[in-house]
Order: sequence, then structure tokens, then C-alpha cells
Amino acid sequence: MSITADATVAAIVAAIRQVLHDTGRTAVTVQPQMLLSTELGLDSLDLAQTIVLLERSLGFDPFRSPAPDSGRPSIRTVADLVGIYSQNAPISSSPGQP
Amino acid sequence: MNTQTFPNPTPSHLADAPPEDRLAFAITEVARQFPDRAAIVAGAGGEESRTIEYGTLAAAIVKLEGALDRVRPVGIVARAKRTESLVVIAAACGRQHVPVAFLAEDSRDLIGELRDWVAIDDSLLLVANPADQRREFEAVATHVVVATSGTSGPPKLVEHSWDSLLAAARLAEQWHGLGWILVYDATRWAGIQVWLQALLTGGRLVVPASRDPDVVLRAIVAEQATVLPATPTLLRRLLTSADRTLLAGARLERITLGGEVADGLLLEQCRAAFPGAKITQVYATTELGEVFRVTDGLPGFPATWLGRSLAGGARLGMRRDGELLVQLSRDTAEVATGDLVEKRGDRFEFTGRRSDVIVVGGAKVLPRRVEELLRGIPGIADARVYGMPSAITGELVAAEVVLADPMPAGSSPESIRAAALAACRSGLEPHGVPRILDMVKKIATNPAGKVPRRQA
Repeated sequence: MSITADATVAAIVAAIRQVLHDTGRTAVTVQPQMLLSTELGLDSLDLAQTIVLLERSLGFDPFRSPAPDSGRPSIRTVADLVGIYSQNAPISSSPGQP
Repeated sequence: MNTQTFPNPTPSHLADAPPEDRLAFAITEVARQFPDRAAIVAGAGGEESRTIEYGTLAAAIVKLEGALDRVRPVGIVARAKRTESLVVIAAACGRQHVPVAFLAEDSRDLIGELRDWVAIDDSLLLVANPADQRREFEAVATHVVVATSGTSGPPKLVEHSWDSLLAAARLAEQWHGLGWILVYDATRWAGIQVWLQALLTGGRLVVPASRDPDVVLRAIVAEQATVLPATPTLLRRLLTSADRTLLAGARLERITLGGEVADGLLLEQCRAAFPGAKITQVYATTELGEVFRVTDGLPGFPATWLGRSLAGGARLGMRRDGELLVQLSRDTAEVATGDLVEKRGDRFEFTGRRSDVIVVGGAKVLPRRVEELLRGIPGIADARVYGMPSAITGELVAAEVVLADPMPAGSSPESIRAAALAACRSGLEPHGVPRILDMVKKIATNPAGKVPRRQA
């Protein structure tokens, strides 16, 4: 895994943990294969917040202008989220610098 | 400071003059009897303040009137930065029946709509270009052009008659010779109302050097200003961010709030800071002008006002969804105001603008309610709640908060943040809880002194 991918994973894990913290839930260890809804208990509001937090830490929002003919991406696991952010990262974007 | 009470011009005199003559008439009358009386204190509360006397204003008006009479331009664009210049231009144009336009900083682009009009700056010189169109003196009523603040759309030019410009001015004796503080932009409707009111009644217009809370308070104290017209946002900033000792030295007697809704907490803080002050809340809209005033210092208006004719002749109604309806008189149609109200006890309180509603995944959130809750948290001085666009839920509730200075003992930004989110979770529906909570130094305001509701 490249450094960039590692940084993306770290940012996503941090964002999910902050969402859980902000909403008064116990922080858990976030693993890539975990299901966002059933295992982590994230609803659409939580996901929306995660995306705003990630836009701040990674500097882009892949959901705002999805790649053409990508359809609606399926986001079931943490790894799905990592995939979307890795595939859609703008070339110039440097993770960690909003 | 001039503290003598002001006996003239008598209101009957003033009312006898045609509306467009009244400003020049009032200033000239005061100047005739008390030429040295301070009319405007500019740069107040700052390093260098300037006092402009009634005599000086009157002389400048006569001089500009002479120039206007020679040139007779189609219209004048007041391009001056100084309040005293704006006053002179307005008074001279009014009496000379020349239309005049006030363009605020953000509406300068609209000048193209005023073709053949001539600009006058702080030099107060009217430069006549032989090619300029000349307009013969007409005895018919002339107008004043003011740019809207662009709160609900881009700024646009609106024509007003001098009659409507002066309609809200209070001319009774109790309003004479008072010290008015101008925190509004002098080129906008609200600001124009303040300087007209001050100078029509022989008062002193105090113009602070800036809108910084400490500067405004220093101006109030140094110039013994007693009347403060402001938006609730500007008043809140004074109460929460200004120096405490300065605050204690301000002797405000009247506070007139308009432009936005004042909540119960702000009114309470206002009463505590200025115990003797009479607090008036003015309810007005761009389309309708002033509809009613609430003077009991409580939020909203008495529930008994609904469906009954008010003192000014207006009749209030309510749509099923809570939107306030106003019928100005029997002959006019009922107008939807866009303001939402809710019955709380024996009052109707404003819950927000219909256009301010944040829609989160189909559920509606009133930002004002969230703001009120946040402002009630120890350690939070001010809050702004707005909708942040989201691809998942349409919008997301976002908040900016200003921490109190000093913070309550034993608290930290982190603990205040946690307390704020916890209070929102227990007091609001899940979709109303702010998902983004940022700590900021101050809440940004738009040029009209109001809080913007959409993401900047």
C-alpha cells in the first residue's frame, strides 16, 4: 500500500471516530472490512458528516462531482469508502492538507 | 457637549414643508438659532474624531443648492464616503427637486442603470459637463434611489419617494436633541433612516470610527449617545464582545432593534446591561415597510394581536404552516412575509425565515432554534447556524460558535464543544443537531449587519 493510500485510510478512520465521538457513541476500533451501517452504526447523517470532515482533511469531496458513468457507488464497508477516495483523488491533492 | 433641550423646528413647521424640503429646512432652522451645535461627530471612539456643526452643514447645503440650480442635472449619485457629505447631498438635492441615489459599496456596479446622472464625492463639487443633460426645475415630487442590501438576492436599485423615506421619522418633542449612534451603513435604507431622524430633530449623529464593539462603545460613552438603532446581531456583539468597563459606562436610553428577530436571551442580556433603556423591536419588511413595533421588551408579539387591527392599521394573520401574513389596510391584499411564527404561551414568537429553513434528508430544521440553544450554553457567547450542502442528505446543519471571553472557570474549548453537542442531542430532533461545529473569533455579518444563513 502506498503512503497516500495509508494517509487516506488514516483520515477515514479518524473521521469515523470523530463522528462517533461527536454523537456521543463509544469510539471503536475501525477496521476496513467493517460494515458502515450494521457494525459501526452509521446512518446517512453520520455518513454526510464523515464526508464533510474528509473534505476538510483530504481537500476534496468525491461525492460532489462523481466520475462520469460511475453510477451511484455502493458504500457498504470502510474499505468501499477508502476505494472511492483513492480512485477519485485529484492528482494535485495532497492528503492531510485541506 | 450640548445638553440643552431642543425647542424647534416645531413638528408642525416641519410637517408644513414639502417632504423633499424637510431635511434642508430642519438643518437650516437649527443652524439659524444654534449654529455651533454639533450635528455629526464622525470617527467617534477612534483616534481622531471630527465634529461638524449645524452651521457648517447648512452653509454646505446652500452652496451645493446653488450649483445644482445652475447645472440642473438629471440626477445625482452620492459617491461620498463621509456621512456629512451624504447628508448635504440629500438635503440639497431634496430642496432642489433633483433625484438622488445612494449606492453602497457592493452596489456600485448598478451605477450603469443611472445613465446621465452626475456623481458627487466628498469634495461636494458639482462638475458640469456641457454634454450632460439638463433637467428643468419641476415642482413635482422627486425621488430617492437606494440599493437593497442583497440579503435575499443580488442588490438592486429601488426608487422611494421622500414621503416614504420620512414616514418612520419620529418628530414629537420627546425625540428632539438626542444623541444617535450610527452603526448601520449610511448609504443603506436603515442607515439613512438614522441620520434623517437625528438631523430632522436637531439631534447629534455619532458615527463610530469602525464597527468594532469597543470602538462603538467608546463612541457611545465619549459622545454620550443615548439612542442605539441596531440589528440584534450588532447588539449581541456589543453585549458579548465589548470591554465590560466600557459597557458599564454606556448610558443608553433607547435601543431600537430591527432587520432581524431578537430572541429572549438577547433581550434579557440587553435589559441587564442597560437597565434604564427602553427596548423597541421594529417589525418591517422590504415590501411593506414598518408594520408594527413591540415595546414591552419581550420576544415576539402578544398573541392577541393576531386577527385584530393594530395601531398602524395593519392586520396580522397566520398561514397554516406558521407563516405570518400582513394586510396593511382594508384596501390592500394580504402579503405573505416569509417569517415563521409559533405560539409560545401568550406570545407569538418568530422562529425564522421560511427561506432560512435547512432541509436535512427531507426534515426541516429552523436554524434560529438551534442558535438559541447554543447561545444558552455556558461558555458560548454567540452562534450562527446554517445549512451546508451535502450530496447524501441535501443539507447538513452546521454551526459556528464564538467562545465567551473569559471562558467559565474549569472549562476548555473541548469541554464546551462536548457540552454544546450534548445539549443539542437532548434538546433537538436528531437531524437538527449540528454535525459541523466550528469555533470562530467572530460571526461574520453581511453589509446590512445581519447574519447570512447560507454557507459563505
